[in-house]
Amino acid sequence: MSPRRPTAFAANDPNVVLAEPDRDTDLLQTRTASEASEAALPATLPDAATPAHRRWRWGTLFWSALGGLVTLALGLAVTQLIDDLFARSLALGWLGLALALLAALAFVAIAIREARGLLRLSTIEELRNDAAATLVSDNRDDGIAVVRSLLHLTRRTPQLARARKILSGHLDDIIDGADFVRLAERHLMTPLDREARQLVSAAAKRVSIVTAVSPRAAIDMLFVLITVLGLIRRLAYLYGGRPGALGLIRLMRMCIAHLTVTGGLAVSDGLVQQVLGHGVVAKLSSRLGEGVLNGLLTARLGLAAIETIRPLPFAALTPPKLGDLAAELTRQRDADTK
Amino acid sequence: MSDPFAQFIEQGRLGAGALIDFGRHLIHPTVRLGVTGMSRAGKTVFITALVNGLVRGGRLPVFEALASGRVASAELAPQPDDAVPRFDYETHVQALTVERRWPDSTRQISELRLVIDYQAKRGALRTLTLDIVDYPGEWLLDLPLLDKSYEEWARETLAASRQAPRAALAAPWHQHLAGLDPNGPQDEQAALTAAALFTDYLRACRDRRFAISMLPPGRFLMPGDLAGSPALTFAPLDLPAEGSAPARSLWAMMQRRYESYKAVLVRPFFREHFSRLDRQIVLVDILSTLNAGPDALRDLENALAAILNCFNPGRRSLISTLFKPRIDRILFAATKADHLHRSSHDRLEAILRRVTERAIARATFAGATIDVIALAAVRATREATIRQGGADLPAILGTPAAGEVMGHQVFDGKTEIAMFPGDLPDDPSVFFNDPAAFRGLTSVPAPEADFRFLHLLPPALAAGEPLPHIRLDRALEFLIGDRLS
Repeated sequence: MSPRRPTAFAANDPNVVLAEPDRDTDLLQTRTASEASEAALPATLPDAATPAHRRWRWGTLFWSALGGLVTLALGLAVTQLIDDLFARSLALGWLGLALALLAALAFVAIAIREARGLLRLSTIEELRNDAAATLVSDNRDDGIAVVRSLLHLTRRTPQLARARKILSGHLDDIIDGADFVRLAERHLMTPLDREARQLVSAAAKRVSIVTAVSPRAAIDMLFVLITVLGLIRRLAYLYGGRPGALGLIRLMRMCIAHLTVTGGLAVSDGLVQQVLGHGVVAKLSSRLGEGVLNGLLTARLGLAAIETIRPLPFAALTPPKLGDLAAELTRQRDADTK
Repeated sequence: MSDPFAQFIEQGRLGAGALIDFGRHLIHPTVRLGVTGMSRAGKTVFITALVNGLVRGGRLPVFEALASGRVASAELAPQPDDAVPRFDYETHVQALTVERRWPDSTRQISELRLVIDYQAKRGALRTLTLDIVDYPGEWLLDLPLLDKSYEEWARETLAASRQAPRAALAAPWHQHLAGLDPNGPQDEQAALTAAALFTDYLRACRDRRFAISMLPPGRFLMPGDLAGSPALTFAPLDLPAEGSAPARSLWAMMQRRYESYKAVLVRPFFREHFSRLDRQIVLVDILSTLNAGPDALRDLENALAAILNCFNPGRRSLISTLFKPRIDRILFAATKADHLHRSSHDRLEAILRRVTERAIARATFAGATIDVIALAAVRATREATIRQGGADLPAILGTPAAGEVMGHQVFDGKTEIAMFPGDLPDDPSVFFNDPAAFRGLTSVPAPEADFRFLHLLPPALAAGEPLPHIRLDRALEFLIGDRLS
């Protein structure tokens, strides 16, 4: 393309179109970050915690086929049951048919919800990857796309109404990509992070208390599992995800994968305190010591969950540390024993 | 600084000054922010906008400390150095916002102190003192003279003045020079004429059509109250390759004056101001060199390289960091980014990055943090699109100053126009590898130039409206954001 020549027009020339500030109007017509400019992104960032593409696997085939068979068997059994009911009495038959239809309807609704939940989770994951790429590339269009997607994602979070308003007011400003992502993080994630921290800390406390008073180890473990699942679900809702049962299982797997990757880091970060704290508390009572340990386990899983569910990587804000939560936990225990 | 004893004394004074500053900063944390750039780069406007934004709490979303409300107040405080003029902030703000004209450019060093009360992220209430030091970039070009003898400097300056496009400008001075004998007896009148002609040549180089900036000694163009004193009355002579100055000759006289120029003007500046800076922003007016042509751009590259040599932390060689304050963050800003549509800002940044890449590599190696941005401390334009023959031109709207010319139009300083200033290249190296990459005012008349960046008036503001800007908040975040965390 040959370079274009400098030109001047009168400001009231009909060919001159002023760039109108597009305030809140097209906030909902979002363009996802991945559409914005695929070419401008740097090569895929290595992210050990998230497996790249799901490849074709025999296991998947096996379970899908088996699932199909079970569904068929179930369908067959139900039709047979309805036939039998009709044979016995017409009214019973209709009742059975109606119940079966209701069950089918509910099943479809649940399936749709699950699918949407999974889709939403992968949108969040994609958004986080895009944001991380933008922090490196500093591309303005990508930054705006990330912020728009984020505004769209959090449009139902009531405590962010003011932050969303402020942020969408900055959409027209000339701000570079990385700065924009950090700005969005400061505005949108600060209140959510605070709440998430409280959730994790409350769950950890609950677990440590229940462990201290529960009669059997098996009950502890069950309680930890239930609390952690509940915690992950609430964190996911907080950060804009809506996982169903399948989504929850997927999140749980991702959290554990994340823990195994960052486990080494976490050990160096808080192990000394943990061992020391545990030792001191265990001197007072072995059950209390176990309570603190279980609480720490919960807290650690909760922190991993925050990093997996949060739609933006930690860039402008600092992630909550296990040390802070652990300090709270032991302080609480000490206060209880007095 | 050839005398080792003098050098030792100088280093001792620098170290002692640093130690005193260190002690003071323990009690009152202070950041000394140096603002420099060649004349017309926009130093005064930058400082005015910066202070205005901090004091009045402007719209600075990226500057975290202010945007999140941690800055309780920022106030002007009495200027600490009694021997340095105060930066006349009030007059400049008045000029910008009320009279709608650009503030008068500063001709010398000036300083302003700002006291910022803020709350640290952990909750402690703190105070940061920000000393803003504004000095002409031309003075930095003098710093390399500290290591040069008169003979070296004369030879280099003369060689440069014999190259195009400088040669034509230097013709009257060359003519006079040919009649001078370095070994002849000293002659005050000859020295005066030579210095005047030499200064005329320097001034001609600075003209808008050439926009040459590599013009030491810097004080010749901004003499201040020393105008006419012997320290400013010397010029390069056409010296023989060998030999030394005979006693009482013209050569010896020039040599002595050159040395006193360094002792009276350059060294005190280095010691009292430059060596004490913590942070530095270098404002570069890339657009005016694009107006002028490829020669100006190459010259700017050389000038910046010379300036950036001064920032070399290896130059100061005392062991302890206590005695060796260093500039740990340098920001290069391509000013007047509002003359371009936002889609071209990245390209402008790329050109500046290319111009400063050697310096960036060296500073990064020495451990300093560097950033390059396209900046408009005060944004004088709005953005628009021009529909032309089915294609859309990204354009800007602004009011050109009276007498500005574009194409065959002359503007009256009142009407707002939409303009498209020309396309910057995707790959900036095109401009540097090819001497005829684009045509500027140096070689062709205005209507044929490839770029036209007009002189625009400041924006018309409603009363109480904050000054609009482009990336001033990013600059602030980079320069002092970490000291406010």
